[in-house]
Amino acid sequence: MFTQERIANAISRRQLLKVGGASAAIATFTAGSALPTEAEKYAGDVAILNVALGLEHQAIAAYDAGAQSKLLSPDQLKIALSFQNDHKRHREALTKYIRRFGGTPVEPKSNYDFGAIASAADVVKLAQRLEEGAEGAYLANAGKLENREILNAAVPILEDEVRHNTVFKQLLSMDVTQRLKY
Amino acid sequence: MYPGPSTSQETQLSLEPESTRRKWLRLASTAGAGAVLFLLTGNRKLLHAESLEGDLGILTAALYLEHEAVAAYQAGAESKLLSPGVLKVAVSFQDDHKYHRDGISGVLKSLGVEPRGPENHYDFGRLRSEKDILRLARDRENGAVLAYGTLASNILTKAVLNFGANVLVDEVRHRTVLNAALSMPNY
Repeated sequence: MFTQERIANAISRRQLLKVGGASAAIATFTAGSALPTEAEKYAGDVAILNVALGLEHQAIAAYDAGAQSKLLSPDQLKIALSFQNDHKRHREALTKYIRRFGGTPVEPKSNYDFGAIASAADVVKLAQRLEEGAEGAYLANAGKLENREILNAAVPILEDEVRHNTVFKQLLSMDVTQRLKY
Repeated sequence: MYPGPSTSQETQLSLEPESTRRKWLRLASTAGAGAVLFLLTGNRKLLHAESLEGDLGILTAALYLEHEAVAAYQAGAESKLLSPGVLKVAVSFQDDHKYHRDGISGVLKSLGVEPRGPENHYDFGRLRSEKDILRLARDRENGAVLAYGTLASNILTKAVLNFGANVLVDEVRHRTVLNAALSMPNY
């Protein structure tokens, strides 16, 4: 039923896995030099954070699209704006850590294709799909983070994504008794 | 009393009844004391789990929480106060906690530590309505979210961290559903 959504989620996870592999290669390559700098040591973390930042930009844009559609009820709009605010906080936190460890934060895309949005249900479904993808991405990558401070920052973000996804699943009368497995 | 979902991790965990606290203190003498004492007191300064021994302490404390959650849902189910729809969700959430319990026990065994069983008795107070049970469950889940969320970055072993993250995700989902059932804020 949600095949398309699952594929979208799988893609974002796959992107992160690919980045994880690349960062391992960077770590190996730099191992021959003298003591690694902080930036070299945490290049893998920065790569993961940058993909996560891309997802945050996408989520913020999706909530903008939802709010601007004028399709949402006042209650739905309140949820959307609250969650968008969370994503803006995530964006700031991720940007801070990417810069601190010598990375360049990715910019938002100039355009996102969220497909046809013709009803409030379309907006909620889109948001749920993106939140579930983000939940899966953070969950799959939390254990790959090497820097404890970054991990500390990522955990509450993961918690937010689970909360968002669960709220939308309930709005859509989806099953909330299923565990995400990784 | 009920911190919202995005409250600071500094939020103190509600203290356990005195008798349970004493048991935890005994527990703390044999496992990573910092993690267990943190769970008791909410004092982050006691967290110094930078060792495999520290991971063992965290796992032991987490196992305690899982046993307690399984017992709380059992008390709820046996009370006959739950409507069929709520009972179904409660049983599912209890299953998740059993899965966590078994997973944590398995990790402890693989590390040569015999996992502890549940307490003989848990005092959950008087349960007189469905709302009482939902509140009991919600408070347990909230405590677990705060505990796992705070302890996660102290876990050194990658496999343990991955398992812990999966457990955390379940606890947040449970808390969100229970918040909604109790008309408590999720946003």
